[in-house]
Amino acid sequence: MTKFALAKHRLPLAVLAVAGVVSGCASSGVRNPSGAPVTEMRPDERGFVAGTGVESQDIVAVTDKMFRSLLGLPQIANAQGVPRIVLDPVINETRFPINKDIFLDRIRVQLNSQARGKIIFLARDRMAALEHERQLKQSGQVTSSTDPNVSEFKGADFFLTGKLLGSTTRTSAGTSDYILYDFQLVDARTSEILWEDSAEIKKQGLEDAAYR
Amino acid sequence: MFEKTRVSRLTSAATILRRCSKPALAAALLLLAGCATTTQRIELTGDIMVDAPNAIAHGPPRDRVLWEYRLAAAAMRQGKFDVAKQNLDDALTTLQGIYGPDPNARKARGYFHAEAKKTFIGEPYERSMAYIYRGILYWMDGQPDNARACFRSAEIEDSDTENHQYAGDWVLPDYLDGFATAKLGGDGSDAFKRAQANVKGLRLPPYDPKANVLFFFEFGRGPTKYATGQYAEQLRIRTGPSSVQSARLSVDALKFPVAPTDDVDFQAATRGGRVMDHILGNKAVFKTATDVAGSAAIIGGSAAILADRGRDATADEVGAGLIVAGIVSKIVSGATQPEADIRTWDNLPHYLSFATVPLPPGPHVATVEFLDPAGQPLPRLTKTVSFDVPADGKDKVIFVSDESLTPQKS
Repeated sequence: MTKFALAKHRLPLAVLAVAGVVSGCASSGVRNPSGAPVTEMRPDERGFVAGTGVESQDIVAVTDKMFRSLLGLPQIANAQGVPRIVLDPVINETRFPINKDIFLDRIRVQLNSQARGKIIFLARDRMAALEHERQLKQSGQVTSSTDPNVSEFKGADFFLTGKLLGSTTRTSAGTSDYILYDFQLVDARTSEILWEDSAEIKKQGLEDAAYR
Repeated sequence: MFEKTRVSRLTSAATILRRCSKPALAAALLLLAGCATTTQRIELTGDIMVDAPNAIAHGPPRDRVLWEYRLAAAAMRQGKFDVAKQNLDDALTTLQGIYGPDPNARKARGYFHAEAKKTFIGEPYERSMAYIYRGILYWMDGQPDNARACFRSAEIEDSDTENHQYAGDWVLPDYLDGFATAKLGGDGSDAFKRAQANVKGLRLPPYDPKANVLFFFEFGRGPTKYATGQYAEQLRIRTGPSSVQSARLSVDALKFPVAPTDDVDFQAATRGGRVMDHILGNKAVFKTATDVAGSAAIIGGSAAILADRGRDATADEVGAGLIVAGIVSKIVSGATQPEADIRTWDNLPHYLSFATVPLPPGPHVATVEFLDPAGQPLPRLTKTVSFDVPADGKDKVIFVSDESLTPQKS
């Protein structure tokens, strides 16, 4: 390029250089540089932040499957009288700390809303408060519509419980986690497992090379 | 006339150089200014319980997890376990969601951003320690299975190393994994065998499911990071001898020696290579190459102009172009950032250990003496803990550090 051509084009060249630099640096490659407003999502929807562990869409999918399976159980559907069930917290044998109550609580809520009184759950987690109320009634500090000296707390016919088991592989190619969600309904009198069902989910991911 | 032509051509080359250099220099200045980021400067008081919340709230988001880690460790030593829980939970949520595209991590891998641009989640030994602390807290809350989950994750974080000789070789997480399983009525023998295989110079005590009081100990100063290499592109771990080598537990009439089970310095130093080390190495090579090329171009261009003595306009232009290219190359070299990220969880301990004791329900007092390498107690570090063993059969978990407050009521 001759000196005249260079001289003629210096301003456009400079402008091009500046534009290239400014457009190249300004928030280059940064997704959502200004952040993202809070949006409401469906619980069974996978969010943009995800790991390989237990997430809301897994809880929804697993508990929906368990509740539908339980609802069809002959011992529930054709029971003489109304079976009473106590929740026994799930055992976590995975590598992910979890809220242990969330699975059974969601199954209980689904059953209570759909079973139309065919099942009754016993609030054993509230026993301390219930016993305190009974003491108040027995001492006459509060009124009672029935004889407070008669124990009317019901015994369980069944226990609903579960176990989460996991298997993990981690190499330079990534991390893979498999979780087996296993739930059981156990006869409180005989210890027989009357119902069992499971769901399994496997996930894998690879972090950016900057973290390896 | 020849002289006039020579002078006029030299003047033309200088003019070209001047005219081309200004846009190039302006572009380079904009490159540096446009890429620089401004962050709020956090004034540190030296009190981690003040500095950490301030940094978490107002500092760069990429350092949040680092401050959460530091705050959690300090909070545990002050018996503020709720604070520790809250911060570890947030940090571990970030850690568990690092999969997939990450714009800051991608920038950190680029030539013109330092590695410290990425979100800090820690090296594997730091991530493992976060899980170990959280596991202790879960056990304190009567959730041994969630505690076990954390101990398993601690081992998993250590499992992908370049040098597989040291993969998954923490002792305490495996031992506690098996102990929690035994407590829950399962078979913890596989985890026990893994722990025993990794421990050095110790026979681990067999599991006693009846032991209802669990003591966790930590002592000594942990590792820190520094960088070496021409451009500080090589991450190194600094370790040192500890003034505290062991401990002695006295509770009721019982006395137990407490030997170190895990060496955090060892875990840090045996991490092996990182993929990021190779990237930083490439950045260093690029920095050197562009610097050398820039120097060569400037020298070559200058030489071309001087040698020509104004006889050849084309040579002058080529020389001028080389000089401009050389300046740009130098600027690019200057903007390249191969420095390794040396942000450190700098209040970790050197050693971890553990003891279990069966005690009847009711009040008890424990004294923990920390011993020097000669086995002599360091009186200024002795801790006293009062605690109540619950009657409901749940385990009592006590955390004691050589930096804990004393006396403690647990």
